[in-house]
Amino acid sequence: MSEIAGRLFSWVNDRLPIVNTFERHLSKHPVPSKVNFWYLFGALAAVTLIIQIVSGIWLIMPYSNTEEEAFSSIEYIMRDVDYGWVIRYIHTTGASLFFAVVYLHMFRGLLYGSYQKPKELVWIFGCTIYLAMMAEGFLGYVLPYGQMSYWGAQVIISLFGAIPYIGESLELWVRGDYYISGITVSRFFALHVVALPLVLIALVFLHLVALHEVGAGNPEGVDIEEFLDDDGIPLDSVPFFPYKVLNAMVAIGVFGVVFSIIMFFFPEGGGYFIEMANFQEANPLVTPDHIAPVWYYAPFYTMLRAIPDPLGGLIVMASAVAIFFVVPWLDRSKVASIRYKGIYSKIALTLFGVSFLTLGYLGTVGVTEIRKTMSIICTIIYFAYFLLMPIYTKYETTKEVPKRL
Amino acid sequence: MIFTSKDLRIFINALCLLIAIFFVNEIYGAEGGPCKEYGECDKFQYSLNDMESLQRGAATYINYCYGCHSLKYSRWGRVAKDLQIPEDIFFENLVFDKSIKTGDLMTGAMSEDSVNWFGVEPPDLSLVSRYKGDDWIYSYLRAYYEDSSKQYGVNNLVYPGTAMPNVLLSLQGNQRLICKNIPIIALNGGEKRDESGNSLLKEKCGFLEVEEGTGMLSKEEFDTLIYDLTNFLVYVGEPSKATRERIGWYVIFYFLIFTALASLLYREYHKDYNK
Repeated sequence: MSEIAGRLFSWVNDRLPIVNTFERHLSKHPVPSKVNFWYLFGALAAVTLIIQIVSGIWLIMPYSNTEEEAFSSIEYIMRDVDYGWVIRYIHTTGASLFFAVVYLHMFRGLLYGSYQKPKELVWIFGCTIYLAMMAEGFLGYVLPYGQMSYWGAQVIISLFGAIPYIGESLELWVRGDYYISGITVSRFFALHVVALPLVLIALVFLHLVALHEVGAGNPEGVDIEEFLDDDGIPLDSVPFFPYKVLNAMVAIGVFGVVFSIIMFFFPEGGGYFIEMANFQEANPLVTPDHIAPVWYYAPFYTMLRAIPDPLGGLIVMASAVAIFFVVPWLDRSKVASIRYKGIYSKIALTLFGVSFLTLGYLGTVGVTEIRKTMSIICTIIYFAYFLLMPIYTKYETTKEVPKRL
Repeated sequence: MIFTSKDLRIFINALCLLIAIFFVNEIYGAEGGPCKEYGECDKFQYSLNDMESLQRGAATYINYCYGCHSLKYSRWGRVAKDLQIPEDIFFENLVFDKSIKTGDLMTGAMSEDSVNWFGVEPPDLSLVSRYKGDDWIYSYLRAYYEDSSKQYGVNNLVYPGTAMPNVLLSLQGNQRLICKNIPIIALNGGEKRDESGNSLLKEKCGFLEVEEGTGMLSKEEFDTLIYDLTNFLVYVGEPSKATRERIGWYVIFYFLIFTALASLLYREYHKDYNK
């Protein structure tokens, strides 16, 4: 029996590089032996992507993408579909946690210089994934067709209208109608469930291929390729499988606990994961008291609101995301990790973190004069972190990086 | 460098202070709550495993509210099943339209004229506990007061100018807004007193008080009635909520075991490698 199985396996393996791929990318793929918890969020992001795809497929089955039935089909899922509520809450909780995990993953990148040569492409693919996620999240939020779906979409789509010359026709083209309607819902549905997931999967694939080509980083910023053993394997490395996979399993367990606490006990996340107004069906005649985005867009929404001119706001908001793409060329430091960078880099990153969180808070509350001032200050700090990076990273005194991990 | 590290430290401290002041200011300068003139909403703690409360709430809803407010995402049979009411008893006592079947949605008993009666169509309340919150409902239904300037002779502190008449008036009795003399609170948090030790009082208005003997229920009985009604609306807002909170513990427990086993395995493998 086992002989037959063995022959079958080698028959397949001769025609499909199973062993080769497994060895190259898993059992013989060297990764730094000493990393910290910051290096686990990439794996968690991959897990969350799978959760979203699987729960999404099951949500498509009972969901109805028409203006009349979109909202009630969600309630149908919540009430009449067996364990429909489980699938829906997995998807809503997963969406928020996907962003949380990705934000932490990105912060890790800034903390340990995970964009520095030769990892520029890994970083750029990552930034593109983030961009695709923002689009994916927005499209998905429109589908339940609640009040916040409708009015959120209204705000975001009208941003296109701020673009000179082509704005108005672009707005119309995106919406597919003169106002948000069933046509908008069904095209957003197509984009949310087919187009963007394909783009996301392709980008994640490229992100990983590029990463495996240049090798994973570590919190010390040490190049592990410099010291190799007799077989040409880095001395400070362990094989990805099983060591890092097991490490990721522990992280997945902890993540599962956090996920279930939210999903089973606080699925609305205090109104931040599912906004209360979204339990009311979309009504074009009634504007909600205040239109707030879900938490993961809040920092950028604050920037948009801080600028009085719509086009200016749009440019600032778009630049805030776009600027991530050029970080590999803004950082002129000789060292990668924050551990060996100078005091200016440390201060700059701290201020950036604080301003990002403050912008996030401001995006979820109404506008007052003092909050507006605060938004502008934080927006300036946010951009200063990036724009001054070539200066402070070049002229600060860095510490000596050790040779080995 | 142009800046010394001392300059920088001062700058950073100033910025952090500014942000700290901002957040302190945010906490104290909280905006008006959802309960408007009522002030803070009364806290409501649901108990979805208290079947008697839910059953009483369902009966109150169907007798007093369902005439105008549908529960269009909810099904009759599901309510009977979840609330553990035998179907024959449920249909005999709570379903007045005998053509209704167990799988039908609770689409309401209101005629098309309702808009003309109230100026607005009475909203469907399947999800009211989710978009208004249970605290809001519990406060709203107890915050009606006599106001002859309004069409139905009543107004509401939680929802000033509400279009809904006080359907539960005969049960609660005549509630009025009154003024009271209350002790003045000094800056140190204690009551202000005069030289002979008596509390200093000032008049404050906006208190709700029921005229004695005008309602069929006592204050406590009425509060219980509203508690049950709100509890029922919490149930209707998410029928699987009780199941969700029950299953949740098992899933968390599973992940804890999973984490424990994964970390034991992880440690075992690393022992080998670090030898």
